[in-house]
Amino acid sequence: MSDKILQVKNLCVSFSSYAGKVQAVRDVSFDLYRGETLSIVGESGSGKSVTTKAVLGILSGNATIESGEILYNGADLAKFQDKDFADIRGKKISLVFQDPLSALNPIMKIGKQIVEALVLSGSTPKGEAKEKALDLMRRVGIPQPEIRFNQYPFQFSGGMRQRIVIAIALASDPEILICDEPTTALDVTIQAQILELINEIKERSSLSIIFITHDLGVVANVADRVAVMYAGRIVEYGRSEEIFYNPKNPYTWALLSSMPDLDTKEQLFSIPGTPPNMLYPPPGDAFHERNQYALKIDQREAPPFFRVSDTHYAATWLLDPRAPKVDPPPILTERIARMKRRAEDVR
Amino acid sequence: MMKYFFQRVLALVITLFIILTVAFLVIRLMPGSIYDSNESLSAEMVKILEDKYHLNDPMIVQYRYFLEDIIVRGDWGTSVAVQPRVPVWEVLGSKIPVTLQLNFISLVIAMPIGIAAGIFAAIYQNTKVDYVISFFVVLFISVPSFIFGSLLQYFLAYKLGWFPIIYNATGVGMAKYLSMVLPITALTFSPVARVTRYLRGELIENLSSEYMLLARTKGLTQLQATVRHSMRNSFVPLANIIIPMFTNILTGSLVVEQIFSVAGVGGLLVASINSSDHTLTIAILIFYSLISLVTILIVDLSYGLIDPRVRIGGGSYD
Repeated sequence: MSDKILQVKNLCVSFSSYAGKVQAVRDVSFDLYRGETLSIVGESGSGKSVTTKAVLGILSGNATIESGEILYNGADLAKFQDKDFADIRGKKISLVFQDPLSALNPIMKIGKQIVEALVLSGSTPKGEAKEKALDLMRRVGIPQPEIRFNQYPFQFSGGMRQRIVIAIALASDPEILICDEPTTALDVTIQAQILELINEIKERSSLSIIFITHDLGVVANVADRVAVMYAGRIVEYGRSEEIFYNPKNPYTWALLSSMPDLDTKEQLFSIPGTPPNMLYPPPGDAFHERNQYALKIDQREAPPFFRVSDTHYAATWLLDPRAPKVDPPPILTERIARMKRRAEDVR
Repeated sequence: MMKYFFQRVLALVITLFIILTVAFLVIRLMPGSIYDSNESLSAEMVKILEDKYHLNDPMIVQYRYFLEDIIVRGDWGTSVAVQPRVPVWEVLGSKIPVTLQLNFISLVIAMPIGIAAGIFAAIYQNTKVDYVISFFVVLFISVPSFIFGSLLQYFLAYKLGWFPIIYNATGVGMAKYLSMVLPITALTFSPVARVTRYLRGELIENLSSEYMLLARTKGLTQLQATVRHSMRNSFVPLANIIIPMFTNILTGSLVVEQIFSVAGVGGLLVASINSSDHTLTIAILIFYSLISLVTILIVDLSYGLIDPRVRIGGGSYD
């Protein structure tokens, strides 16, 4: 677990638009260890997808990596030109998209799309590609792959298409799999199947996975470690249990409190206000305007990371020794207590 | 697919019948007749014509005889003024090859130019290359082909003398080909612009699609992904505008043929109307209608052949 396969250091990405420079990712650092699942959580526009697109070099044309490093196998992907990515994309790092309905070429046969990925990965000669594609389709749970091989995407359901996208991602036998909200576009029962599939694949092939989502329920299912992002920054990271049972950042509190829960009769909590406009990121802690626990210093200065444990860090001034002691909201403490009880019951 | 085919053919026949009826009514209700412009006709000749076309009967009876002649006997009548006593389809048949040749060549030339320009404009979207191409697209679409025809004729043929001023039908070899250059060029501008504009739009949409991103993450370079995925997908709808464009060029060439004195169907139509040669006019109208209808039929059927979503999905788009 100690082997770092991917290191992102102080990554800053901005988009130039007519209105000015949108600072989508601001000083993001994280490590991905071999064989783990790291989940990046945050609301829409928090910069989670942009971070992973930067890793694969598929940012849109108006985006630039301002500074920072993305270290993989001793190379800095942040400095790569498009042609340098030839050895990375579809060979070492693969991506599963959010929307399987639009990710597949609508007028190309499914089989051909998988075969294309296999041949490009360089591991499979053309003659064997079809057999291997059928294998992959079986592996991701497509029934009757021989028939499905010659069909088109519109003949597949959403869940089946996501399985195909996963099969394409696995075609090259990658070291890192990036899942960009792979279940968001699917309904709940299919979500569970896809998550199960991803977990199963991970165990079988010792993949490292970066799992992006805004759904904390999904995180609990898949993640070893969690990083919470807000307004282009990571605000808290730690092992799954630490984030769920002992959250420290007020934003994490708010996220956890706004998760739907069957056991309470109270009204569902929602975070007041809207995320900041990243054309003009607010000074200090970007969350302070929506944060009922904000301190005066939050308006002036962004908090550094405070250590909670060796694996758990949070960027909030509340952890400063000089700050007043604040407990998480009661909704959340009750919910955590319930979660713990349930976990013990299961055990 | 067979059922669909027959439905389309039936629709074609019905449309053609309606056009035939409208053409008959419009022509027969027009003031003036063949006798006005042709005073040399003898009394016997007038009698023969009146008997043949039943001109002394009420309109509805004339219409019945007209249909009977065409449908039962296949007799479309003979030309009376333009080429007297020659069956209309024979008159038409001698002009069609010239017109079709010019139109077909200009379409064949327009396609690769339009496709190349469209691809460049899309790939270099919002750069100077794109702006220059888009400027010419607007120019070529908005200015009608006969203006280009006149300009080309004035500058390249009259002032510079590079090409003959009018079309040389009797020439052989180089002389004939040289005289074809200007009319063909005049007809080519508009289709080039149409193809360019359409392909640019399609390609830009496809280039920014999610499956392009997937293609890139598979390990295709931008160029490979563009050629294998975006372009392929952009060409599918393109096929469906190129075929009907043939009809467009054909109508444009009605006037361009006049400018360059091409002895084609366009000139024939104008001559037949001017000389009240009604049977000939109707035959030409039917010829143009038939070509439009057949191209539409080809488009309808080719949708299914080209796009698997229509072929297999039974027309349900996703």
